[in-house]
Amino acid sequence: MFKNRHNTIALMVVIVFGCVLFFIGTDGFKAYTAETARVNDLIENKPAFPDVTLEDNKGRKYSIAEFKDKYVFITFLYTACGTVCPQLELNMAEVYDSLPSKYIGEDIVFLSISFDPERDDPATLETYRKAFNADGETWRMARIVDKQELESLLSRFGVIVIPDGRGNFTHNSAFYLVDKNGKLLEVMDYTKIDEAAEKVESILEGEQVSKS
Amino acid sequence: MTQFIYGLLLYIFLMLPPVADLVESIMITHMHMQMPLLVISGMLMGGILKSRFPRFFEKWNSNGIPGITLFMIIVIYWTIPRTMDEALTLQSVEIWKFISLPFLAGIPLRDSWKKLSEAGKNIIIIIFTIKYFGMGALYIWTPDQLCNNYLLIDQLTLGWGFVTTAICLVIYLVYTYTVDPSEYE
Repeated sequence: MFKNRHNTIALMVVIVFGCVLFFIGTDGFKAYTAETARVNDLIENKPAFPDVTLEDNKGRKYSIAEFKDKYVFITFLYTACGTVCPQLELNMAEVYDSLPSKYIGEDIVFLSISFDPERDDPATLETYRKAFNADGETWRMARIVDKQELESLLSRFGVIVIPDGRGNFTHNSAFYLVDKNGKLLEVMDYTKIDEAAEKVESILEGEQVSKS
Repeated sequence: MTQFIYGLLLYIFLMLPPVADLVESIMITHMHMQMPLLVISGMLMGGILKSRFPRFFEKWNSNGIPGITLFMIIVIYWTIPRTMDEALTLQSVEIWKFISLPFLAGIPLRDSWKKLSEAGKNIIIIIFTIKYFGMGALYIWTPDQLCNNYLLIDQLTLGWGFVTTAICLVIYLVYTYTVDPSEYE
């Protein structure tokens, strides 16, 4: 009897320990992958878009200040990518198309940023832009030539890019929304197009109301 | 005592930075080689604890259930994609891995396994079979990349590793139900 009581106590302790361990390890059962944890963390901390020089598909160079007073909807990609990136850009195009046109270019611009600046020169980006029917103005494609600047942006926005040694990269993908002051506002699941579009639209609508 | 030394040597060997870096660079060796070896090192080292503190284990783990539960909690914890990822990026999680697997999984497993009944052992194996099929399916069929630090192909390899392990467990279970070893003695 006594033996069993000790066993029961030990079992209880172990189970409580297990619950605490899993609770802490998953941020309160919210994040089972490092990616979820990363996104939760980004949304909480809202890092600023660093001061980097973008070079777009027309060869124009500017910093994020180019889009001051506009929201910027961002994705990260490389054009030689055959798997996730085309899907990511197609989904981005769907978000672009489903937003009311009055906002496009006025309150929000779309920006695809390449993390493969060596291959993705303006000419390549221009071809890629045409493939996705981006107009190059309200939806631009750009690279960041300076390696250090690129790294700073990727690490601040938690974009993890691993070269596989055969010219391809494994990378995590998401929709990023940067606010008018250049701060990261939202990180959205790129596979949930309607959800992302609705969220962006409601943010833009809220902006309209506060303006008028 | 020799067992303890072998266990300790294995433990130290696994801790050497080049060894740790190498096995962690590939997802499947991280999960299916380094982690089990850590558990084994704990099992080898655990013998000495059992002989030093027999009463502790007898008192708190007389039927083996608390120990085996602790073992399962630790092992399942380390199959969460996030924990494996963070072991690579966060030093504290890496240290926790090297403490928890030998001492909180290896030692209790050694103490508990013999105390479990045949049915109890089979239940544990069945739980792991289901879990490994589940994890295998998760790693193979999720379109997403679950671990940020590994390539997608690594993830697929790990998934098939899980499925293969689960198949082996099924074969073992079938064997124990159909073959009576005493017939061959």
